[in-house]
Amino acid sequence: MIRRLVVLVLLVGGAVLLEPLRAPTEGVIAPRSLFLFGILLLTADTFGAIAHDLRLPRLVGYLVAGLALGPSVSEIVPAGVLEDLGMMKRLAVGLIGLLAGAELRIADLRQRHRLILLVLIFQTAAVLLVLLGASLLLRDWLPFLKALSNDQMFFVALLFAVILTVNSPMVTLALLTETRAAGPLARTTLGVVLVADVIIILLFTGAFSLAQASLGGATAGAPEILLRLLREVLGSILAGGIIGGVLTLYLRFVKRELVVFAVVVVFATAAAAPALHFEFLLSMLVAGFLVENVAPVRAEPLVDVLHQAALPVFVVFFAMAGAELHIQEFAAVWPVVLLIAFARMAAIYGSTTYAGRLARAEPDVIRYGWTGLVSQAGVALGLATIVADRLPGVGLAMQAVTIGVIAFNESVGPILFRHGLLRAGEVTTP
Amino acid sequence: MQTTLAALAVITVGYILAYLVFDRLRDRFGYVGGAEYVIIGFLLGPRMTGLLGAAEVQDLTPIVSLALGWLGMLLGTYFRLPALARIDTSHLRIAFTEALATFGFALAALLALFHYVLGYAWPEAIVQAVTLAAVATLSSAAAVDALTRRHRPVSPLVPVLQFTARIDALIAVAAFGLLLAIFHQGQVSLTVRPPTATEWAVINLAVGVSSGVLFHLFLGPGRHSDEGQGSRLFVALAGAIVVASGASYYLNLSPIYTNLVLGFILANSGAHRDVTRLLLNTERPVYLALLIFAGAAWSPSSPELLFVAPLFVLIRLAARFAGGWVAGALSAPPVLRTPWLGRALLAQGGIAVALAVNYTQVRPDLNGDLILTATLVSVLLFDIVASREVSQLVSTTPEDGDLSRVNEGGGRELLTP
Repeated sequence: MIRRLVVLVLLVGGAVLLEPLRAPTEGVIAPRSLFLFGILLLTADTFGAIAHDLRLPRLVGYLVAGLALGPSVSEIVPAGVLEDLGMMKRLAVGLIGLLAGAELRIADLRQRHRLILLVLIFQTAAVLLVLLGASLLLRDWLPFLKALSNDQMFFVALLFAVILTVNSPMVTLALLTETRAAGPLARTTLGVVLVADVIIILLFTGAFSLAQASLGGATAGAPEILLRLLREVLGSILAGGIIGGVLTLYLRFVKRELVVFAVVVVFATAAAAPALHFEFLLSMLVAGFLVENVAPVRAEPLVDVLHQAALPVFVVFFAMAGAELHIQEFAAVWPVVLLIAFARMAAIYGSTTYAGRLARAEPDVIRYGWTGLVSQAGVALGLATIVADRLPGVGLAMQAVTIGVIAFNESVGPILFRHGLLRAGEVTTP
Repeated sequence: MQTTLAALAVITVGYILAYLVFDRLRDRFGYVGGAEYVIIGFLLGPRMTGLLGAAEVQDLTPIVSLALGWLGMLLGTYFRLPALARIDTSHLRIAFTEALATFGFALAALLALFHYVLGYAWPEAIVQAVTLAAVATLSSAAAVDALTRRHRPVSPLVPVLQFTARIDALIAVAAFGLLLAIFHQGQVSLTVRPPTATEWAVINLAVGVSSGVLFHLFLGPGRHSDEGQGSRLFVALAGAIVVASGASYYLNLSPIYTNLVLGFILANSGAHRDVTRLLLNTERPVYLALLIFAGAAWSPSSPELLFVAPLFVLIRLAARFAGGWVAGALSAPPVLRTPWLGRALLAQGGIAVALAVNYTQVRPDLNGDLILTATLVSVLLFDIVASREVSQLVSTTPEDGDLSRVNEGGGRELLTP
């Protein structure tokens, strides 16, 4: 490992030495971004290996690598470079979504529907209530609640709680891929986080509209909100159906160069999503689910190539996610961030354990089910950014705390889930 | 919304039509190219539906530079010194004669075209002519490989053709790399003296060598053959290629050349057979990704295209036949003698597209569209006829039994790393 770290230092040093000879065609390409993207990949790979040696999930290493090189710490990879590489991250999100959908088997859902439903209901309700209560109790320490009236405070706190209810399909899938876990705990967690993703989009849109209305911003009436909500979700499902249909036809009649075709489909979907007003990740999830479970073709070839491409995709996603973490914001409000993070964790633990008992789940699922639901990553960060963009003032202040909690959950969650999978005996490649 | 839906419909219908046409060619002629992917890229790109706008096409640069470097590195890994040392001298003679003669003929014709016919000054004419001569010299062993997979035993010409294709690529990439160094574009920092052409050439080589040494150290001596290790090796290699390509772009040099040197060093550093295997396994998707990008970046607007692109195809055909004749009829031993060697080297493959894309990135000011169009037209046309020409030539030469008289060495080893 030391040899690898020395090589990385030499590479960065070499780039500094070459700086006076720099004569790039900046208009066409961004050589600096490219070079630093390579450094980010190599560092993430190295840190992933170090994390693995320390018996931690590799993705924690990828996150730490991104954090170490990103704007928060060394600024070797500045924010502008991350913007240049935005398309790479979207590609990663799309491919992970497709794979996640394909991993969700209808037979598992049928078999475990009662447990998944109960965990979803109890987890969502418990986290919402606990975080809403905690936010209101800690209002004097939460900068985004300080100057608000009681009504405003309630709705903004509700929005804050909804964002922190989100789980992470990315982390779950990355860990399941890394550990090749496939037991009851793995299948239940995957089912919960994927279905929860759909529910959260609905909850977030509702909570956001209420908060916006209470703050006096331009907002639509309730029927209009509901209509927009339904249109977005149904549109995503419809888009997922169409993408699934295209993939099915391709698997049926062409069945060649699957990885290239999957990448093209993801790019085309990413480009079409904003124009057609549907949710990119949800549509890819639906497409993957339909191809695996509904389409009259064998989806294994596609799932196999997605699995083969999974590790590089996870490295790109988590290294960039790590680089985008702002730990300065965490440092400024860390006591309150930790309080909220632990309150959330306690709510997840209590609700999941209770739901597991109620559904008479396997003992390991009851005991360790909560470990897979602590992680947060891309979706939660995305929602925090939407709030910051659309509710300036309150949103920006909220983002600092939200990102702090997400950063904590993103770092601790994978470690807990790996531990849970290990204790449940579901890990096949420790 | 309607525009987006229409764009998606155009792309779907376009792809289906292209697939049907080229699938027929695949069945009838053993077509090995990927023209339908150029068409997808073109349909997605800003010139047609605009679903991938100019900004998005630019955002794809990391993937494209990875693809350029990937192909360059793969080429470099073919040249393992122990295997090269065992190659029969007649094979070496044929391969280098064919490559240099083809390059020379193409360069002479293209220089005349750009300077005397199109009226460019010598420096501009040289830059464009050398680039297109390099593209013309490139040949791909894909059609030959496809033939050997279908029919065994095969002619003793097969290993010669496979080796010659590698040497063609080596000469082309080296020529293009040197061109970008000698006719270097861009202003360096005011604090240093601008390097001379020779110094740029040395810097280019030094970037490749130092990248090779560093990544040899980075990858370490371990084997990477199981599935998980393979994926991690993919990440490390992708990182290495992107870093080396980024360094080349930094200096406005060729990432293909840099990665060729990097691949050569990794292949000869002992413990990296897995690297070559991984590069080979992923060559096809990388090539197709490059074709999609080339299609998206393709902007055939200049009126010169109507004239230059077909003329380039004719020049390449003539140069290939002439180079093949010089090598096959004049410098080959009797058992390998054929005046039609060039017929079996018509396919161009991924590196031709890579060179053209690289040219459009580093010299967009000097007919980037023209070079890309001429290359794409040539690649697409020659890929269609290549397989048929290979099988016709190979069927007229004696079978593999005679191979032992020609080559007792390791020619095949070089080709199957």
